[in-house]
Amino acid sequence: MSDLAAGVWDTAAVATGVLAELPSLAQVWGNHTYRMVVLGTTTIGLVAGALGSFAYLRRQSLISDVISHAALPGTLVVFLAAVALGLDGRNMGGLIAGAIVVGTLAVLAANAIERLTVLRIDAAMAIVLATFFGVGMLLMRIVTNGDFPGKGGIQDYLFGNASTITRADLATSLTVGGVALAIMLVYWREFALRTFDPDLAATLGMRTRLVDTLMFTTIVIATVIGVKAVGLVLMVAFVVTPPAAARQWTQSLPAMVALAGAIGAVGSALGAYLSIALGTVPTGPVIVLTLFAILLLSLLASPRRSVLLRAARRRRARRALQAELTREVRAHEARAQRVAEQRVPEQRVPEQRVPEQGAQP
Amino acid sequence: MSFALGVALLAVVTAVTCALPGTYVVLRRSSMLVDAISHAVLPGIVLGYLLTRDLDSPVLILGAALAGMLVVLGAEWLGRTGLLTGDAPQGLIFPALFSIGVILVTLNAANVHLDTHAVLVGDLNLAAWDQLEIAGLALGPRYLYLMLGMLVLNAVVLALLHRTLTLTTFDPVFARTIGIRSGLVNAVFMLLVALTVTAAYNAAGAILVIALVVIPPATARLLTDRLPVMLGFAAGIAAAGALAGFWLAYVLDAATSAGMATFYGLAFGVVLLATRLRRREGREMVRNARASTPGAPSRGLRRLS
Repeated sequence: MSDLAAGVWDTAAVATGVLAELPSLAQVWGNHTYRMVVLGTTTIGLVAGALGSFAYLRRQSLISDVISHAALPGTLVVFLAAVALGLDGRNMGGLIAGAIVVGTLAVLAANAIERLTVLRIDAAMAIVLATFFGVGMLLMRIVTNGDFPGKGGIQDYLFGNASTITRADLATSLTVGGVALAIMLVYWREFALRTFDPDLAATLGMRTRLVDTLMFTTIVIATVIGVKAVGLVLMVAFVVTPPAAARQWTQSLPAMVALAGAIGAVGSALGAYLSIALGTVPTGPVIVLTLFAILLLSLLASPRRSVLLRAARRRRARRALQAELTREVRAHEARAQRVAEQRVPEQRVPEQRVPEQGAQP
Repeated sequence: MSFALGVALLAVVTAVTCALPGTYVVLRRSSMLVDAISHAVLPGIVLGYLLTRDLDSPVLILGAALAGMLVVLGAEWLGRTGLLTGDAPQGLIFPALFSIGVILVTLNAANVHLDTHAVLVGDLNLAAWDQLEIAGLALGPRYLYLMLGMLVLNAVVLALLHRTLTLTTFDPVFARTIGIRSGLVNAVFMLLVALTVTAAYNAAGAILVIALVVIPPATARLLTDRLPVMLGFAAGIAAAGALAGFWLAYVLDAATSAGMATFYGLAFGVVLLATRLRRREGREMVRNARASTPGAPSRGLRRLS
């Protein structure tokens, strides 16, 4: 118990100490590593938030969890192939390409299992996630056991390491993320129709299989560009949380996508700044908690859908109904009493007669 | 008992223990919830460790199971508010809990000798390291007996809940009509799943537990439409896959849990293909039979006449 108290106390002491001497924005900006961390995570948050909206609206948010786990064997296969060919195994573009291809395969596999069998999408996703990750862990063992140049840091894909983001990494994620956002803008009408009315989209002759594949490819891109910095376990939060928070404030698709991107970007920047300020804390988890705080705020405070406002409104409605019912009951009672009072003389008549009758004989 | 035999036995018992509640998990469409629970286990373990300073304490299992329940109930509450759609509620809570776990570990790195990597990936060989010895007799890994206890608990609770669980799984509306408190049944069942996941994490690792819970029952589901048969098939596939996966990992010198997950995935793929092919063959046989009898009416005509 005392250890727990000590742990909490230490944490609190570190937090207050840090708050006393928060690094200024200029300080963060002046340091190359810090700048890369903030810029890199902001890019990831923006792309994942904006494109995650479609996964959210199609009710398949957890597909990003499947994608991030499938990205592991994808990157490792590319790494092993590149090393075998005598190329640089750590080339960010190649690793991302491998992750995108295998991630898309995982999505297609999950959807195929749902289409071909009696199993539902949740079981299909779980099967694909576990299998791809199992293969990834086998490959990981091969990489760590073997003697490969540049294998150091390949374990970062499990938990992520934002401080290793290089200028080339940032350029790659900006380019790939930009391509994904461009696909989304070009196919905006198709994506929107397929998301909100899949049957109408099919009836209108849209090539639904193609549109689905494109849409899920953008979601795959949004997921895999963050895996190196954030880790495959936490990446799902970057894809799910900003759209869920944005949905509370908006009513239209363009507004939701824009706001989700903004929440992702701002939340990531804020979280990255906090983790730099705290010093020893890893960046990914702090960003996830920042995004979660934004979500809670949105659930509690958004004007139209706030949990608190709704509870208050419900209580007011209940009280109003109660008051009305009490009024009705009172009025009914009063009426009943009036009727009773009117009837009383009629009823009294026989009562009065009884003693008379009894008195006569 | 030799060490390899102990590890193999542990793998089999762990797999069967996971497959029993897994059958209901697959049928109740909560498969991804297992993934969420297994990630929430981390903060529960860390807090339990900070409380007891003992990595083998049962408090750890209880704390982890309670953290798993936090995900289940939290996701349920978020879903009930009607503000979030689809499977988003599950995806929102478990990363936050996992983040708290990672931050707690890094902040207390000096006191917590917990490897987050080991928690996630698990290592059957490490779990089997601690051998139980009574009067000089080597009785196999200590952890084997914990998993056996969990297996018995699962079997007993599932046998007791069998009727109620079946009803709430297949016809929740009817179950509610005849007065079954489906919320309570669900909570008890999910607590059992959370306990199983926590007990199995040591052997399989938080991430690969989902393979043990979901894939054997899902494979069994492809082979049968009957619940008792599905339970039997799931347990059989789990046990056979555990041995095969153990061998695969042994040959490749990899983590046993990774070998098992890969093997289960392959087995599922093979069964899926086989059942598809058999159905297509059956259709073709009908078509050939119809084509080879000249003058036979087509199906539509036969129905009319």
